Amino acid sequence: MSTTIAVPGQLLGATTDFLPGPGTHIHASSIHASILGPISRTVPPKPAGPSKRLTKITKATPEPLPTISIDRDISEGHGQGKREIIPEVSSVVLCKVTRITPRQANVNILVVGESVLDGDWQGLIRVQDVRATEKDKVKIFESFRPGDVVRAAVISLGDQSNYYLSTARNNLGVIMATSESGNAMYPVSWKEYRDPETGANEWRKVAKPF
Amino acid sequence: MTDRRRINGPSGGTSAPIFSKYLAKTPNELLERPTRSRPNNALRKMFLKTGVTPSASGSAYLELEASKNPKSTAPGLSSPSTSGLKLTCTVHGPRPLPKSAPFSPHIILTTHVKYAPFATRKRRGYLRDSSERDLGVHLETALRGVIIGDRWPKSGVEIIITILEGEEDQWWGDGIGHGNTAAAEWGMMSVLSGCITVASAAIADAGIDCVDVVAGGVAAVVKGSAKGPSPNLVLDPVPSEHKEIIAACIVGYLPSRDEITDLWVKGDIGHGNQNEDTAQSASYEELADSAVQAALGSHRVLIAALKETADVKIGRS
Repeated sequence: MSTTIAVPGQLLGATTDFLPGPGTHIHASSIHASILGPISRTVPPKPAGPSKRLTKITKATPEPLPTISIDRDISEGHGQGKREIIPEVSSVVLCKVTRITPRQANVNILVVGESVLDGDWQGLIRVQDVRATEKDKVKIFESFRPGDVVRAAVISLGDQSNYYLSTARNNLGVIMATSESGNAMYPVSWKEYRDPETGANEWRKVAKPF
Repeated sequence: MTDRRRINGPSGGTSAPIFSKYLAKTPNELLERPTRSRPNNALRKMFLKTGVTPSASGSAYLELEASKNPKSTAPGLSSPSTSGLKLTCTVHGPRPLPKSAPFSPHIILTTHVKYAPFATRKRRGYLRDSSERDLGVHLETALRGVIIGDRWPKSGVEIIITILEGEEDQWWGDGIGHGNTAAAEWGMMSVLSGCITVASAAIADAGIDCVDVVAGGVAAVVKGSAKGPSPNLVLDPVPSEHKEIIAACIVGYLPSRDEITDLWVKGDIGHGNQNEDTAQSASYEELADSAVQAALGSHRVLIAALKETADVKIGRS
């Protein structure tokens, strides 16, 4: 491995030569490292060539700049020393419903992207964010129940304690649910889960499995 | 406020008694002030290691070499004149803010500095006293200018430093009636400088975004010895090695930006020609510049320690 390690504050290059990636910051029109880790440069893929024959002389498009970034997750596969990560707007999270009211469902965010969170981050799915269509007919208790595991997208950093989440996409919604008799259920339609033992159906906002 | 929950030791000093017959036998060895053996512009040897606390997000340990009485044959720790510095720092976070906290678009930094009860010759209490809170505030000022807080909205980070062995404010012999007794808290300056350096290493270990690694450095104007009577400017002063410290300065310095995040000057300096003593001594700017030089020295140790950390984490040590 020939990666070089950057320490915070180290000069990485000028903004005219690189684009700043994660783990870097710009100071006085040059890019500096902001965390400790190996430097990685990613060169954007070059277009294969002019898609059609050039019929007139145009100005050559400037070559896209390579992105310079610092890998945050440097201790992957070593167990200890995991990196902290927090939910951001538009990141997809997995969360568990803790409490429902007619207006909203309160959740605990457990996973952001691929990484398991350490702390206790609270989230909120409001009734108007459950699905994209017929928003006025949504009922929270026909969409979520406490204990369900939900895949959702972060739409806002929210108020002082809650992140605001949304399930208004086909691939978002309940991915694991237990019935009232306590059995794990399987999805049968976009709004129904079925208990394999009793055969009873329950309403949920179901995430499209594929 | 007294601590009612624990059985406390006596509040005064609890150093081991020295019997007069012992004093009579080897008076020179015991009652000789340690002297500065390194040049004025040299720092003490420094040991810095990160990742000492596995349960924390980031941690670091800093140790400064204890100064020894040159004539003493006893090993360093058992000699009564030692004055080293041992600090551990743990960083917890970024973690969610408590529910009662208001919305914050950036990270909330909390610092705790605590002397261990056994850290100095005079025993410390279990609760933080005003000087420890003061150190915490200074440390927070030094670090706030470095952390890029906007990258971590709605979260808090806690930086906890325990001082395992603190710098003495004066030579212990001065306390029992030899020389002046009007010692200010000079030891705090070196401790704060160490705190800044060790916290900076722990923050980098925790992976919190910073604009630079901040390094602490101390410089002092000390009263000259018998050889050279004029006041000297020394880097990284050990208070017990000097009979009288006129002024001291500590900075938190960002080397790659050439910026200072924290500056604290104590003592008698900058009066120009008013005073005979200070007339020959250094100016305020010279003192601060020397402190920056000291910070550059500890910055080099920091960089080396951080590169080592990254190498270990990648697994190519």
